Amino acid sequence: MNKTYGEGDTKVRALTDVSFSIKKGEFVLIVGSSGSGKSTLLNMIGLLDKPTSGQVLIDGTNTITLGDNQVSSFRNSKLGFIFQFSNLLTDLTVLENVLLPRNIQHSNQNVMTEAKNLLKAVGLESQMNKRANKISGGQAQRAAIARGLINNPAIVLADEPTGNLDSITAETIVQLMKSMAKKLNQTFIIVTHDRQQFGEVDRVITIRDGRAFEGEDLPHEMEIKV
Amino acid sequence: MDYRIQLATRMLANKRGSLLGAIMAVSIGILVIHVNFVIFQGLYDAIIRDLSGYRFGDVLVTNREDVITEKSDVFLVNWFERIPYVEAAAPRMSSSASINVTKSGKIIQDFQVPVVGVDPFQDTRVSTVHETVSEGQYVFSRNSIVVGSIVARDLGGVTVGDNLQLKIVNRHGEDAIKRFIVTGIARSPGGQGFDSDVVIHIDTLRDMLDRNKETGQILVKLNDPTKADEVKDLFLRSFPNDDFKAETIEESAEQTLSGFRSGIAMINMIGYFGMMSSAFAVVTIQIMLVSSKTREVGIMRAIGAKRKDILIIFLFQGMIIGMVGAGVGTAFGLSYTFYAKETKMSFQGSLPLQVSYDWSKITQTAIMAFGLAVIASIYPAFKATKLQPVEAMRSV
Ligand SMILES: Nc1ncnc2c1ncn2[C@@H]1O[C@H](COP(=O)(O)OP(=O)(O)OP(=O)(O)O)[C@@H](O)[C@H]1O
Ligand SMILES: [Mg+2]
Repeated sequence: MNKTYGEGDTKVRALTDVSFSIKKGEFVLIVGSSGSGKSTLLNMIGLLDKPTSGQVLIDGTNTITLGDNQVSSFRNSKLGFIFQFSNLLTDLTVLENVLLPRNIQHSNQNVMTEAKNLLKAVGLESQMNKRANKISGGQAQRAAIARGLINNPAIVLADEPTGNLDSITAETIVQLMKSMAKKLNQTFIIVTHDRQQFGEVDRVITIRDGRAFEGEDLPHEMEIKV
Repeated sequence: MDYRIQLATRMLANKRGSLLGAIMAVSIGILVIHVNFVIFQGLYDAIIRDLSGYRFGDVLVTNREDVITEKSDVFLVNWFERIPYVEAAAPRMSSSASINVTKSGKIIQDFQVPVVGVDPFQDTRVSTVHETVSEGQYVFSRNSIVVGSIVARDLGGVTVGDNLQLKIVNRHGEDAIKRFIVTGIARSPGGQGFDSDVVIHIDTLRDMLDRNKETGQILVKLNDPTKADEVKDLFLRSFPNDDFKAETIEESAEQTLSGFRSGIAMINMIGYFGMMSSAFAVVTIQIMLVSSKTREVGIMRAIGAKRKDILIIFLFQGMIIGMVGAGVGTAFGLSYTFYAKETKMSFQGSLPLQVSYDWSKITQTAIMAFGLAVIASIYPAFKATKLQPVEAMRSV
């Protein structure tokens, strides 16, 4: 796929001929320097934005052809999001935030137990009835992970999920994501500028000047299509 | 509970200032309309009340030409009082006289005053004039006279017990002169009553005019004033060959009140403009609320909320604002109305307002305020749906 922002003089080629596929259950890191196009790529995969050309196929669906409502439903049921900061709706409690993706579906299926189990898994059981602005940044990221998982999505997408945390808290969040991925055989795609923090992962994709390369520390010219 | 309703409620509850501002805007809009209604409709109804109470009754029967000669007053009063809607009927006679009084040996200059002849017994059942007699009592005998307060003042301060003289030109063009004893002074709030008239016994006036058995008007008081048209029509149908004329109070008062009515229409319009500006305040506050929730909207859209869901959340906020505002405003308005009614509110000693609860208007105002608050939320809510998740979340 390709993505360009703006037109004419202000035109920016944010992504150029990016093409790869990811298998179910993979824990993938997207790394690269600032401004290289990591967030842009993640927004394309997350259907938060549309590529200028190319396709995004998720679970066999060509998402480019979907209308706004279908994209919303798709995001809701197939994708989980964890952002760098301010993930939660501060008007709601932690538990309500976790339940929100399910409530948006208007499903009357009771997922209270599921939500509580997830909150327990991320270690927030005791905080779940607090308002979301009354918990720490690390706790908020844990809640966001629980929320990202509540609908059993095909992919959990995270853009610098530890970018706003101190290194010790960041470490626990990384471990949490890795363990949840393993336990649930859940696909994770994580954008980070701190490769080291994540240790051993299934796969690393490096973005450099809007181009995607398999692996890390690749020579400039080398481009790998997967 | 639907998450959109929950979110709308929470978001408002956590923005007390904006919520309070919006509610105040809506409720003040309503209050203005209630206050306008109490004062201006109250004044209008008070004038009607007094005109009907003092001069016209609910239905007024007169003769097309001059005075009623074809039927006796007793006959007509009896005829009316057989109708179940009719509480009572009474005859009146009007003329004018020149009046003079001798006070401590000095004659106060003659001047013309309107004279009203009443039947002392029937009149108190039909009109409220006797209630305006502030000193002494109403006409009770053939030579008692009730003097309006303005007349009394112009006569140099006539009081109960004084003697005065009326000179009336009778039907033959001759002067008829008679002396009276002042039995009462009439003073009405607002001066709508007989403050500038004198009241005497109807039979005395008939004698002086040499118009025995004749009657100027018949005032009819109803126990159900809404039946005025029915009673009037029944009367006119029953006496088709006579020269009778019958008018309901609305018709009798038409001339006095037509100007007033257009005044009320204008005041109402001002009230509705007030309500419109409340709606604009709601628009502003809602836009503020929406822009303070840009990030939240972005998150909601990212995790799958549709445009429609965002629209519903902010429209629902408008409904909450409208509902609470309409409730609070109506409560304020009703309190003011209650206060005005209980204290028989009047302005500078003028006639007390005739305050009433017009429930259909009250409901209509509340519904309108609610509707305007919702309409005022459409644009901000629509703007919120236009927020793109990526853009929205960037605005941290
Ligand atoms: N909305 C936009 N309009 C115009 N240009 C944009 C927009 N978003 C991103 N860009 C540009 O696209 C390029 C890639 O941006 P992107 O945000 O994807 O980088 P990134 O790798 O996430 O950087 P960082 O590590 O700093 O977050 C940059 O040159 C950026 O200036
Ligand atoms: Mg980025």
